[in-house]
Amino acid sequence: MSSEAGPLLRLHPAAMVIGALGTIRRSISATIVPGAVFLFSQGFSPWTIALVLAGVAVVAVLAALWGFLSWRATTYGIVGGSFRLRQGVFQKSERTIPLEHVQSVDTVQGIVQRVFGVYEVRVETAGGGASEPDASLPALSRAATEKLRRGIEGARREPAGAEEAPGPEVLRRLSTKDLLLAGATSGQIGVALSLLAVGSQVFDEFFSEAFLRNLVESLAPNALVLVLILIPAVALAAWLLAIAGTVLAHFGFTLSREGDFLYIKRGLLERREATIPLGRIQAVRVSEGFLRQPFGLASLRVESAGYGEDAGVSAVMFPLLPFGEVQALLRAAAPEFAVAPPLNPLPRRALRRYVLRAILPALVLAGAVALASFLVFDAALGLLAVALVPPLALYGWLRFRDAGWALEGDRLVVRSRTLARVTVVAPRRRLQSRSVLQNPFQRRLRLATFGTEVASGAGGSSLAVTDLGSDDARYLAGALSSRPGGRPGREGSPP
Amino acid sequence: MIPLLAAGGFGSFALLRWADVSALFGILPALAVLALAVLSVAVVPGLRWRRWRYEIRPDEVDLQRGVWWVSRTLVPLARIQHVDTRQGPLQRRYGLSTVVFHTAAGANQIPELSTPIASEARDRIADLTREQDEL
Repeated sequence: MSSEAGPLLRLHPAAMVIGALGTIRRSISATIVPGAVFLFSQGFSPWTIALVLAGVAVVAVLAALWGFLSWRATTYGIVGGSFRLRQGVFQKSERTIPLEHVQSVDTVQGIVQRVFGVYEVRVETAGGGASEPDASLPALSRAATEKLRRGIEGARREPAGAEEAPGPEVLRRLSTKDLLLAGATSGQIGVALSLLAVGSQVFDEFFSEAFLRNLVESLAPNALVLVLILIPAVALAAWLLAIAGTVLAHFGFTLSREGDFLYIKRGLLERREATIPLGRIQAVRVSEGFLRQPFGLASLRVESAGYGEDAGVSAVMFPLLPFGEVQALLRAAAPEFAVAPPLNPLPRRALRRYVLRAILPALVLAGAVALASFLVFDAALGLLAVALVPPLALYGWLRFRDAGWALEGDRLVVRSRTLARVTVVAPRRRLQSRSVLQNPFQRRLRLATFGTEVASGAGGSSLAVTDLGSDDARYLAGALSSRPGGRPGREGSPP
Repeated sequence: MIPLLAAGGFGSFALLRWADVSALFGILPALAVLALAVLSVAVVPGLRWRRWRYEIRPDEVDLQRGVWWVSRTLVPLARIQHVDTRQGPLQRRYGLSTVVFHTAAGANQIPELSTPIASEARDRIADLTREQDEL
């Protein structure tokens, strides 16, 4: 392993334990069901218990041995302008990532890592996307982590003398009150509900149906009372779960900046530190959630190129702050994106399309139900779907009112609403392509949809202004080019 | 197209079999779907082909397409990361290729050019991209 006399380093010895625990966890998930079946089918005789215990012991010893071997086989270091990682007990692998391809050095501290005071370090790459796997070092000491981070980031920093900078300046911390507020208004009740559904299935597995029925009947003698109790109870549980999820993920959220890098620290049980190079931010999204907008609150997200697979969470720049303080924070953190010009509204004639688009599903539903009831029954059930029309029309009007766009000195600002009202700021040089789309109905009203894309994660993220005036759409497409564009010609048409 | 045909056929079958409607009314869904199929096989491809336009300018690639749903896409050459040509078995049979160019946000394509023209377009995009990078 040390055949080459390079400055390759070993991981912290805690990596052995972490590796072994990982192996045990994997083998548990593979063997728990057969093991339990074996135990229950054979009865709890001393003989079977001894057999199971022996099996557990063998797994533990093998896992420990494997942990040791893989720790011994894993070395890493910076060699000749590249980050190098060697690993593998039988199947050796060596990964070399040129330092200029390294996007960021992130750390995660899970519960096991916290026990040992070590960090899991992830070297995230840019550009290669999904095809270029990132490197992960399961256990490094604080000092080794810092040294690696300096080694990688120092190589990319322009002035080499800036090494002894005063350290990251904290821009904003999330207070506990804001953290709870963020959880309460996160609107992730849907996610929590699906978790509850999975939980209730597990629950079903463990208790017999008769037991559940008895439980339910003793709790509530009739179905209506049960429903009246159950629905608020489930909603409350989902809400608490959403709060808990937010607290776990965003506890102690701290955004700081040093030079051209933003640093994000967060997490209650699992502490994460992420680095976002300013130069890689493609767009900033200011999102005013449906539940947050009435309180004047917003959250900030960044679209960052070539960012790791869990882009969904790591892209949160700040989870909750008053909308009025967004610009101040952006000026300090990412000044290029601190812009809030007055937006151009959509033309009045677009309102009709927004309302129609919102109520169309209800109309189709009403039509289908009416047709079905005409063919099968005689009832006019379709009228029920008609009751959905007024709230949906209101929703369409809200979307129309909130949509808008502006060009402010080389930056495109687009605002739209699905549920949350989202304002996106993207500099012109980050726009990967621009398109103008027009369907026959839009053509009749002299409207069009302008769409553009920025790089995000391994793919792209699109932003669009739906139903703006067609001259405005063409103006945007032209104004955002490096040069005013002409019309597509016929030269080079397919033969 | 095939699911749609199947749906139309089943719709007619269901109407004739289970609902109490006249035979003329019952075959309507199947007829409608059949007409749609003929239209989309015989007429629409020609129209779409006629409306497809592309232009490779020194600074941008300009794509325009669509008969009813018209779209125009501009891709700055400075954003293009790489470009390639592709050819499926059917395309090879007719000497056609598709030019695919990738930006950091995804791929765009110019479909069904004759192979020599596709190669030319690919090389042109690659050259212009290199020039843009050097600027």
